Amino acid sequence: MKKQLLKLPLLFFLIVSVIFFYLLIIERNPSKIPSALLDKNVPEFEAESLLTNYQFTSSKEFGNEIVLVNFFATWCKPCRDEHSYIKRFSDEKKIKIVGINYKDNPEKAIQWLKELGNPYSVIAKDKKGKIAIDWGVYGIPETFVVNSKGVIKYRHVGPVSQKEYKKINLIIKKINNDK
Amino acid sequence: MVPSLGNFALWISLFFGIFQYFISKKNSKSKLVSITVNGLLFSSIISFFTLMYLHISSNFSVINVFQNSHTTKPLLYKISGVWGNHEGSMLLWILVLTIFNYFIFKLYNKKNLIFVSKTLEIQAFIIIGFIIFTIFTSNPFETMIQTPDNGLGFNPILQDPALAIHPPLLYIGYVGLSAAFSMSVATLTLGDQKKIPWHNYIKPFVLVSWSFLTIGIALGSLWAYYELGWGGWWFWDPVENASFMPWLLSTALLHSLIIVEKKQSLKIWVLFLSILAFLLSVIGTFLVRSGILTSVHTFALDPSRGIYILLFTAILGGYSLILFGTKSKVYFSNNYFSFFSKEGSILVNNIIMTIVCATVFLGTVYPLLVEAITNNKISVGEPYYNSTVVPIMLPAFLIMGIGPILSWGNGNKLDILKKIYPNIFLTIIMTVSIFLFYKSYTLLGIAGISLAFWIISNNLLLLYKRKFTYSLGVIIAHLGVGLLILGITASSIWQIEKIATMKINSELQINNYKIKFNQIKEVKGPNYLALQGNFIISDNKKNIITTLKPQNRFYPIAGIFTTEPSIHVTLLRDLYIVLGEGNIKDGWIIRLYYNPLVIWIWIGAFVIFIGGIISLNNNLRKLPR
Repeated sequence: MKKQLLKLPLLFFLIVSVIFFYLLIIERNPSKIPSALLDKNVPEFEAESLLTNYQFTSSKEFGNEIVLVNFFATWCKPCRDEHSYIKRFSDEKKIKIVGINYKDNPEKAIQWLKELGNPYSVIAKDKKGKIAIDWGVYGIPETFVVNSKGVIKYRHVGPVSQKEYKKINLIIKKINNDK
Repeated sequence: MVPSLGNFALWISLFFGIFQYFISKKNSKSKLVSITVNGLLFSSIISFFTLMYLHISSNFSVINVFQNSHTTKPLLYKISGVWGNHEGSMLLWILVLTIFNYFIFKLYNKKNLIFVSKTLEIQAFIIIGFIIFTIFTSNPFETMIQTPDNGLGFNPILQDPALAIHPPLLYIGYVGLSAAFSMSVATLTLGDQKKIPWHNYIKPFVLVSWSFLTIGIALGSLWAYYELGWGGWWFWDPVENASFMPWLLSTALLHSLIIVEKKQSLKIWVLFLSILAFLLSVIGTFLVRSGILTSVHTFALDPSRGIYILLFTAILGGYSLILFGTKSKVYFSNNYFSFFSKEGSILVNNIIMTIVCATVFLGTVYPLLVEAITNNKISVGEPYYNSTVVPIMLPAFLIMGIGPILSWGNGNKLDILKKIYPNIFLTIIMTVSIFLFYKSYTLLGIAGISLAFWIISNNLLLLYKRKFTYSLGVIIAHLGVGLLILGITASSIWQIEKIATMKINSELQINNYKIKFNQIKEVKGPNYLALQGNFIISDNKKNIITTLKPQNRFYPIAGIFTTEPSIHVTLLRDLYIVLGEGNIKDGWIIRLYYNPLVIWIWIGAFVIFIGGIISLNNNLRKLPR
């Protein structure tokens, strides 16, 4: 009996190792947090717009068509990485994209968009990060898919990659089909 | 050119590591062993300092330097930036491994030849594993063809003196446990016939690990306290837990070793703990580096790294635990002992430390288990740990106070009572007087405070009487734990938190202090811009005590905003102020904390560390030559 007990630690260790291994090889993203806002209406907010001299009002922007909401900043390196994919959404897929410029320097942001191209139909300035708090943003970049009724259908934390780009397109297709 | 030198030295270390693995199988202390061990140490020193040189000289052709450094960074943080990232920290890990390897080699004498050789063989295996990992998945010497003009900068909240030395101290702790692991595996392999006093060899390494883990963890929490601006100092973050678990086990290990030494009992338990403590250190590394958990410490996410460390851990753990499962029974002994004895109290301490460790382990991996089985995300946080760990710890503290007074074997209970009678008296006086001062009572608070004073008074009396049934180091370390518990309990139960919006010239009262918002202005630091509030603190009699200047900083290069709390520290309490968001018109959001006795947490930890070092000195003298 005692002898068998001595082998228990080994058994326990192996079980834990297998679970860790399973978690490593399955597709998972530890930074993907279920959003409390999923299937809810977009939070309402007003803000200054970055490029044009006009007041951004959320109720005007959502509810007519599918909209991507993308939180970005010039100081965030992954935002630069994902920018080409964000552009592809507007150039190739003709999707309306609302940009939220998070805690950023407006002049730098304008310069940045001149350099990399501007895929956003409108950009709201979120100087203090209040909009991000309302949206429950975990870290930027972060991207939301909002359907034509103004309801949030999907959320992605982190930069949009090739894989994520495809996935978001599938989701948009699905939303269109469900209509 | 220089990066290739570092890379070359790393490969040479790998070569020496492999060589040591094979040559130590021969069980002889030849010149070759000496050359190998020294060569390994020397080459890992070269690769480590080459990386340091690259960081100091801002050589941005090296990807590691480019990603983590910047020319405007102060020198201290250029140096600490070496281990502030995944690749560099692995290099430091290897350096510490080879230093401990050298000390194991130094243990060689005529009688222990086989034992030390076997230990060196296993140590070499561990070293090879980490070097291969570093070279192939995390090579810090990788270069780019184009050299950028400047680096990406280093996360400014990590630019801090406490945090600069926190990783090296912690690594000494983790890696020291590798020596205990290797020795335990060597003992199991060789069997009991050799009559080698292996526990005497393990003990100094465990003492070093435990002391450095203590001070390393303490510095990390000190940093969290004054840098993160949340008023707290421990958050049960997975990475904090990853350092806390080996600490708990090494505490248990340290105490069991005393019983092995005095009573020739618990051997099997010591061998098991030695294996487990190091395995937990490596699993901790796995959890942090693989990105399987999210935490403030998460380094770059790379699944291949995770799989490699996991495989390596599985080999180490599988091998050592199979060995333990099959070969440890010869170490069984049937020496039972009485509860009211030194060994009895140590045994209870052991059980409790292990249970706490298991509890923390469960809390840390439980979200992962749930996700693997149900695909749901849950998180385990402070409420779980506070309601499990704290009550389990309380009896340990009770016994800890009395342990050093008890005698070995079956002591006379009446005698014990006579001995502790003045201590109980002293404890009650201290507890009552402090509660009269703070005037706030909770059951857990009373328990915590009285236990803290129980430990403090017992050890102070032992110091005063100079009757050292235990060594001076032990008494000092225990005294430190008492102070630590005092700080933890007092700052938890008597903390006052106030959040308010304050305009210029408005005032706020916290405890007996009046805080006046005097002015706010912009200031410029070496690599940041800041908005700095100016708060005048005065007491009830309107004497001005100090001016606190919390800041909101912006680091333009890293593009990060940070808050810098401002703290006024005395031995009795901290006043802690954080500047939040706001503007001139509406005022600023201010968070204020009154933290009683919080400084004693770190004084306590430092006292424990000193005690550990004194004990180490004693134990080194006792080593068989």
